[in-house]
Amino acid sequence: MTIQYKSIKELNEMLNNKDISPTELLDETFQLIDEHKDLNAFVTLNKEGSYKAAKELDSKDAFSSLEGIPIAQKDLFCTKDILTTCGSKMLSNFVPPYTATAIENLEKAGCLSVGKTNMDEFAMGSSNETSFYGNVLNPWNKDFVPGGSSGGSAAAVAAGIVAAASGTDTGGSIRQPASLCGISGLKPTYGRISRWGMIAFASSLDQAGPMARTVEDCALLLNEMCSYDKKDTTSLNVEIPDFTHNLNNEIKNKKIGIVKEFDLSKLDQNVVKNFESSLDQLKKLGAEIVEVSIPNISLSVPTYYVIAPAECSSNLSRYDGVKYGFRTDNITDLENLYINSRTEGFGEEVKRRILIGTYVLSAGFYDAYYKKAQQVRRLIKNDFDNAFKEVDVIVSPTTRGPAFAAGSKSGDPIQMYLEDLFTIPANLAGLPAMSIPSGFENNMPLGLQIIGNHLDESTVLQVGHNFQVNTDFHNQNPSKGVS
Amino acid sequence: MDKETVSTIAHLSRLSLENEKGDKLISDLEEILEFVDQLNDVNTENVDPLSSPLEMTARLRNDDLNSKDRKSKFLSNAPDSNEDYFLVPRVVE
Repeated sequence: MTIQYKSIKELNEMLNNKDISPTELLDETFQLIDEHKDLNAFVTLNKEGSYKAAKELDSKDAFSSLEGIPIAQKDLFCTKDILTTCGSKMLSNFVPPYTATAIENLEKAGCLSVGKTNMDEFAMGSSNETSFYGNVLNPWNKDFVPGGSSGGSAAAVAAGIVAAASGTDTGGSIRQPASLCGISGLKPTYGRISRWGMIAFASSLDQAGPMARTVEDCALLLNEMCSYDKKDTTSLNVEIPDFTHNLNNEIKNKKIGIVKEFDLSKLDQNVVKNFESSLDQLKKLGAEIVEVSIPNISLSVPTYYVIAPAECSSNLSRYDGVKYGFRTDNITDLENLYINSRTEGFGEEVKRRILIGTYVLSAGFYDAYYKKAQQVRRLIKNDFDNAFKEVDVIVSPTTRGPAFAAGSKSGDPIQMYLEDLFTIPANLAGLPAMSIPSGFENNMPLGLQIIGNHLDESTVLQVGHNFQVNTDFHNQNPSKGVS
Repeated sequence: MDKETVSTIAHLSRLSLENEKGDKLISDLEEILEFVDQLNDVNTENVDPLSSPLEMTARLRNDDLNSKDRKSKFLSNAPDSNEDYFLVPRVVE
């Protein structure tokens, strides 16, 4: 019996039927991790901790939805007594004294954290090529990138090693790799999941979320990841619904928006065709497609590339080689301890963003760049508020095309930044958004993005689940190839 | 963006660019700034800046002791420490 490519729901059935025990599940999972070492999806394994947790569950008669389910955690979440690198040399020796709330919630629900997944350094990248620990390979074609920054999490789920993984999304870092690897991934509303214990990149945009094989599994994970957390001052004290409750309700008469201003003519034409067939599928299910206007949406990427670097330069000023993390050997005084530790500890893309952020926040440029970007951010948010008066969700392709070859964009920052064209707007407006598999181009997965209104993850999941019940893109996998 | 501006920003960022391919970095930064310059074409008169999608005032909480003493654990992550202190090179001669 193999557990590869099984969903959470299927594994839960196997556990409840006594076909397998949590410890046996782990045995197979670690074997799969070993067999897929070449993907470079994991930075650190947690054998001791996960086996200890599994043994406590082995004698159970009945398993709740996530009890005994192996899960991979993005290496951006602090995990107590387990190395947490954030993909950086700067944190190559950092062992946190506490665990992030989102991870603690999953573990309390019975998830077995098998290891920490590779990622772009400090979550800055869209191809997993900026990690200090090397590229992650796309399981569908190892010459291609898995996307980023949650590339290790996406590859681990796509390769069927684990049924679920945690991710974080600042400008598309859950949805873009989910799309490129053919899995489902959700970025919830800003404030839904506690950011406590998440290593900060851009604090007004960062949000954790689930990555899995199906929408239904994402809903199960979201149920547990959300909590009101006093330790995160932006954590929302709002009702947390059962996100699985709505899934099977039909989407007849739901109004689904498409954005007038997204210029699809410049896209890969196969992506456009695929998007149109996704719309046809939604229409078949009784949904109504409505054109909406988000006039300022094309300004999302430039707005993001002021705000995110500004917040990054501020957040990353904490890495000084004094209290934790990497310290240079090349020290003559305190000033060059700071400078050399940071220069040697950070990679190229991180330094580029710190410099841009410092520039846009510096005296004389603050109003022209940072304040201006925040004003445009409000215009974009207002556009979404207006659009959601008319529609229930908004859909678009998740990315401009399928996964690209490693190295093909890494020399050109703007081309890499445009990779997140469709995903960034939801971060700026703080809205929930997910990517689900929608088809293939040359045997590489494509994704459909579903953006929801503030706190309305339920409708996003409902539309996604209805789509999956009527399609089988999410059931394909790299071993059997596309059928 | 001239070399002097870049070196001022590098100093503010506490980063050294000495070993970097200076020209490629400057041209990358210029390209990024040129790209974000399109924001200047937008009329934002009387638009309030949006600093967080939630627009709520950050909650305050009492600074209560809620965990046991973890001093040694925190210090164990430091590159260099001595009893209760983080160690850095001598600052005052």
